[in-house]
Formats: sequence, C-alpha cells, structure tokens
Amino acid sequence: MSRVELDKVWKIYPRGNVVGVKDLSFTIQDKEFLAILGPSGGGKSSTLRMLAGLEEISRGEIRFDGQPVNQLGPAERNIALAFESYALYQRLSVYENIAFPLRARKMKKAAVHEKVMSIAELLDLKDLLKKYPSSLAGGQQQRVSLGRAFVRQPNLTLLDEPISHMDQRVRAEIRARIRHLHDEMKNTTVYVTHDQAEAVSLCDRMVILHKAELQQIGTVEEIWSRPANRFVAFFVGEPAMNFLPAKVEGERLTVSSAQGPRRLTLPAAVPAKYSGKELTLGLRPQQLKVHRREPSGDSLPGKLRLIEFQGETTVLTLSVGGESGGEMKAVVAATERFETGQTVWLSAEAKNIHLFDGEEAIFKK
Amino acid sequence: MAEVVLESVTKLYGRKRAVNGVSLTCREGEFLSIFGPTGAGKSTILKMIAGIEPITTGRILFNGRPVNDLPPQQRNVSMAFESYNLYPHLNVYDNIAFPLRAPRWGLKLSHAEERAKVGEIANFLGIGELLERLPQHLSGGQKQRVSLARALVRKPEVYLLDEPIAHLDARLKFSTQSLLKDFAAKYRATIIYVTHDYREALALSDRVAVLRKGQIEQEAVPEDIYYRPVSDFVGRLIGEPPMNLMDGQIVERDGRSCFQAGSSFCLPVPAGLLDSMRACARQENGGLVARLGIRCEYIKLAREKISETSFQLPVYAIVHEAESSVVTFELANVFFYARVRQELGLVDYRVSEKLWLDFDPQHMMFFPKTIELSAKV
Repeated sequence: MSRVELDKVWKIYPRGNVVGVKDLSFTIQDKEFLAILGPSGGGKSSTLRMLAGLEEISRGEIRFDGQPVNQLGPAERNIALAFESYALYQRLSVYENIAFPLRARKMKKAAVHEKVMSIAELLDLKDLLKKYPSSLAGGQQQRVSLGRAFVRQPNLTLLDEPISHMDQRVRAEIRARIRHLHDEMKNTTVYVTHDQAEAVSLCDRMVILHKAELQQIGTVEEIWSRPANRFVAFFVGEPAMNFLPAKVEGERLTVSSAQGPRRLTLPAAVPAKYSGKELTLGLRPQQLKVHRREPSGDSLPGKLRLIEFQGETTVLTLSVGGESGGEMKAVVAATERFETGQTVWLSAEAKNIHLFDGEEAIFKK
Repeated sequence: MAEVVLESVTKLYGRKRAVNGVSLTCREGEFLSIFGPTGAGKSTILKMIAGIEPITTGRILFNGRPVNDLPPQQRNVSMAFESYNLYPHLNVYDNIAFPLRAPRWGLKLSHAEERAKVGEIANFLGIGELLERLPQHLSGGQKQRVSLARALVRKPEVYLLDEPIAHLDARLKFSTQSLLKDFAAKYRATIIYVTHDYREALALSDRVAVLRKGQIEQEAVPEDIYYRPVSDFVGRLIGEPPMNLMDGQIVERDGRSCFQAGSSFCLPVPAGLLDSMRACARQENGGLVARLGIRCEYIKLAREKISETSFQLPVYAIVHEAESSVVTFELANVFFYARVRQELGLVDYRVSEKLWLDFDPQHMMFFPKTIELSAKV
C-alpha cells in the first residue's frame, strides 16, 4: 500500500523513435482505486509496464511513497499483477496458485494457510482449493487470478483488463467482487482498461490516455459532467455524447434544425472571443428530455428515425435536420413509447450543455 | 424477400441432438433473432436454412416451398459468418463485389453500377477507405465489417447473419447495430440473426427466439423477453446485471404466506402471486421452496425503513454506471443487485452498511427451478 507518483514520465521506443508515453504526471493516492482508460495504442500498456517495472522508464521518475523506483525490478517494487489471460500455473492446485506469491516471499506455512483461507473465503473459492486450473470455468479461473493478486498487501496491485472478455452473466459478479476486495483489503489498485464502462463502474478516479498523452484525470463525476476536451467527452459514456455545430452570442447559443435555427440557454456566459465563431455543442443522450409536444422553454425538434430497446432503457435516434443534417441519440426509460417517423422535441438543463472550440472544452471544472 | 418457415427441424450429429424439433417462422420483412448461450444450436439452425448443413428431420420452407433438397446456391440466401470467410487473395472491393458477379444471380452489372453498389454499402459500414486493401492488412473489426458488407451488398430471399458484429469494439458495435437496424427498415429485409449478446437481440429484433439446448425456450417480442421471461433460464440470460434470482422457503406467518431466504429476509407474497408461487414450488429438505425473480431496477433502497415489507441487508459492494449505481447484496450465498438512478449525484452508501430494501410486488415473479443458482461462475 503506497502512494505512487509519476513525475514527467516518458517512454520512447528507440526503434523508429516512437513515443509511447509523453510527459505523464499524476499521483495515485494510498488505498485509491484508479483506472487508466484509453483506446488501444494510447499509452496504457506502456504506463502499466513502467509501473510494474517490466519496462524501462525513458525519462522522468516513478516514486513509491516518495522513493524513486526507476532502478528497481518488478519483485523489488513489491507489486501484484492480474492479467486478462489469468496466467495461472496449470500444474499447481488452486490453493498453491494463490499461495505462490506468499511462498515466494518465504512466509511461514501457518501464515500462508491463514492468508489463503481468508482470501478464498472472500472470493468463494473454498470448494475449489484442491482443483487444478484446467478443470475450472473461465469465471472461476478469473477469481483464482484475483485471489492471487489480492492475497498479500503489495505496494501496488495492477489489474490489466481482467473482465472485459467475460460474458455478461459473470461480469456483474466479478465487478462486485473486485470492488469488494479493494474495499476490504485497501490495496492501492490500478485498473487498466479500454472499456469505459469497466472504468466507470469500478474506480474512484480515472486517468484518460490518448495518443501517448494525459487527457484528463478526475473522478467519474468530474469526467462525466465536465470533460476537458472532445475526445474525453466522446470516449466516456455509451451511447456517446452528441455533437452539433453551433454559434454563440453571450449566453445564447444557436443551432440549426429542420424547423429553422433554435436557441438554447448556456450554463454561463461565454467569453466575447467566441462570439460568432463556429463551435460544437455537446449533449449527452442520457441527459436529454424527450417531449411529445413542443415544450415552453428551449428545445430542439427532431424526427425519430430508430428505436432501439435495451431492456431498462430505450435509445432513440433522431435526425435534427437543418444545415447540420445532424443526428442525435437520446436515452429514455423503456416504459415511454414512441413511434418512428414521429417528431419529438429535445431539451437539456443548462448545466448539462457542453461547448467545444475545436477540441477544447469551453466550460471547464 | 421470402418468408422462412421451420417445421419441427431436428439435427443429429451422431447421437447428439444439436437442434431438437424447432418450429419457427420468420415473416417477410421481419428481423428475427435466434439468441442463446454458446452451444445451444443457433449456428446449426442458420446453416440448415442456408443449406450448408443437411436437415436430419423436419422441413424448411421459403415462401411455402420446401427447400430441404436444394443446395445452398439454389436457395438464394446471403450469409455473414462470425469467422469472416474472406477471400485472402482478393482486396476488400473484390470481396464485397464477389456476390454481385456470381453468374447464378444474372445481375450483369456494368462496371459503374458495381462500383456504386460496393461503394454505397462500404461507406454505409464505414469501410469506404479500405477498398484497395487485402484482408491480411485489416484488423479483426475491419474484416468483420467487410464480411457484413459482402452479405448485404445483394438482395437475396433472406439474409442470414451469424454474430456479424461480435468482434467489433463496444463503441463500433453500438453504431454498427444502429446501421443494421437502419438497413433492415430501409430495405424491408427478411433477416435471421444469430447472437449471444442480449443487447443486440433486444435492440434489433422484431421478435426473438431464445434457444436452449437445441430447443426454443421462448419466442416473443423483445419487450416480453425482457419483462416476461418464461423461465429462470431466460431471466438470467438477459440484462446486465442479469435478473436477480433467489430460492426461498414458503412459510406461513400470521396467516400469510411468506417467502423466506436467509435469516433477515421474509417477504409476504402479494395475493396475486400466490397461485404462481405455489405452482412453481418444489419440496426440498422437508420444506416448500420457490424461486423468486426480480430485475435490479425494481428493488428500492433507502437508509430508512421504506414499507412494512421492507427488510435490511448489508451492502457487499457498489459499482457505478454512467447515470446509476449498482448495489450488490449477498443473500444465502447468492448475489443480487439493485440499481439506483442518481438524478442528484452519486449514492453515498458504504460497504457493509445496512440498507433497507423494498421489492416492487408488481415486478416480482416466480419460476420453476430449471437452472442451478449455486453453480457459481
């Protein structure tokens, strides 16, 4: 359990001079659950490998509790790792797989037993301890892999995509178990994933990496309500944020629609330098209200094109038309009934309106 | 396009019944999904419709005409496989154009017409930039879209799509799903779609057939599959988290029938559900045991007592979603989940904190036991 700092960390691959990670600084607090999220090729894996000591740091420093670890190997850093591909020892029983990191540290037999039994209890593995990995289902193997990662309290626990490929019946359970383990054991945990839903579900804070650079770090709520740029706004949330071209005048914003230009009130006045400029309006499908009749306040009309039932919710796709010819998605409760071809009006609270100048968000935290 | 009818279709591999007496109708212009877990027989059904697998017994009819004895090329179907099956020596353009050039369909398109058709479907699926590339230079997701484009470029009697978007990443999957729905509506296409992903089945289909061990467990519109599953099996397959299922004793207390699971949970059963509960109940360990199902959105949570029937349990874990949180509880060794919408910020419940839970009686249902709950993942 440690506070982990990355200080201006670079990873440059000498072959082809490729920058894997560019000037990355952030801090993982002691006992925190932090997700590193981004598309593949964004720098997640390089960051993970540098944290684990599996790859050299080209420039900058990584510190555990203030002590630089650049020169330390994986074992000396005292790190636990769980990978997507389980990586269990096939010739060892479940018990021995979990005990392995403890035995490697020459822990006494009685103490090993106590630790293994307590983690087995937490992960419901007690009946499986004598079995071998090859006879276990995928979800069971994943639990063993988690047990091995959480059986001791290392400086840092690194989880690399441990559940993204599991089926939906298992996912909810494994998510709950991982979060429960973290809350019980209070390990400093880093969870690396390309799946925004995983990151959102589990972490206290997330770091978003794209094109080798830090895009934003913050709590889920901060990233959801005030994304730093268009990339983050689009990447986090499913269905993704809607974007429409827009212009502003003071606190009023104008977008085009099939029924002519429409106005929306912004959460705050926009600096004069943006007046008249081509900007991008961002609206989250989850934060739109859909009206069957034109409401009295600001609204945006659209024709309903697609209705996708999702169970608890339904996703509507509307064409807004106008010069932008734009499309919008909106999420409504599945109990609300609509017909394709119907005209509906969308409205959003001012605080849920996002505005971008090129890539940059205008309203920041 | 055709109406496709399956009449008591069975497929035996040796003595194994891969498909067991399936009767199914896909109307003209309908989007029908065949949904189920791996190994349920979904792909086998599709292959029998395509004519790639012979039918052991039963009949398949296109527009009332039996096609059992017709080879694949005479059935006029268009198929996309999960495994892509692209021609490795042909570039993307030629792969997509291939069905247009097959002499059998006698399309005899001019060069310009062919370009237009291939370009249209490729752009529609977002692979318009890749036409010159060879399959070996494509990612898995790109190959899958090429395979889908090749299936959609021509208008056959029926489109047979086998997990056609399974290998796309989450974002692309959702957008391609919308495109497919668009395509189906625009061309009034007859589509039979195989998937193990309940989201695709619900979002795309006019009707869904849920397959279990070679047999149809439920055939219904997506809303019914979600809200009125016929069995614990279907409930457990749909939703994330899946439907909560729990076993409990039926006990009489103060003259009322109650459902009791664990020590702290004893729920008076609403009068309207008594019959269905008794019909589903079974004798176990000298008592009467029933299986209760309820979706996570119908469990209310609070720090204070909610109603006379609410009860208390400690929180096992809390995970978040964009606009909601899922609170997990453990009861008699089984996990169950409650979803809390957060109109006003994140929930601040803590692990191990005892919360009051209230089950919405309108959305409780009882099932006979057909799956093991304790078969933990």
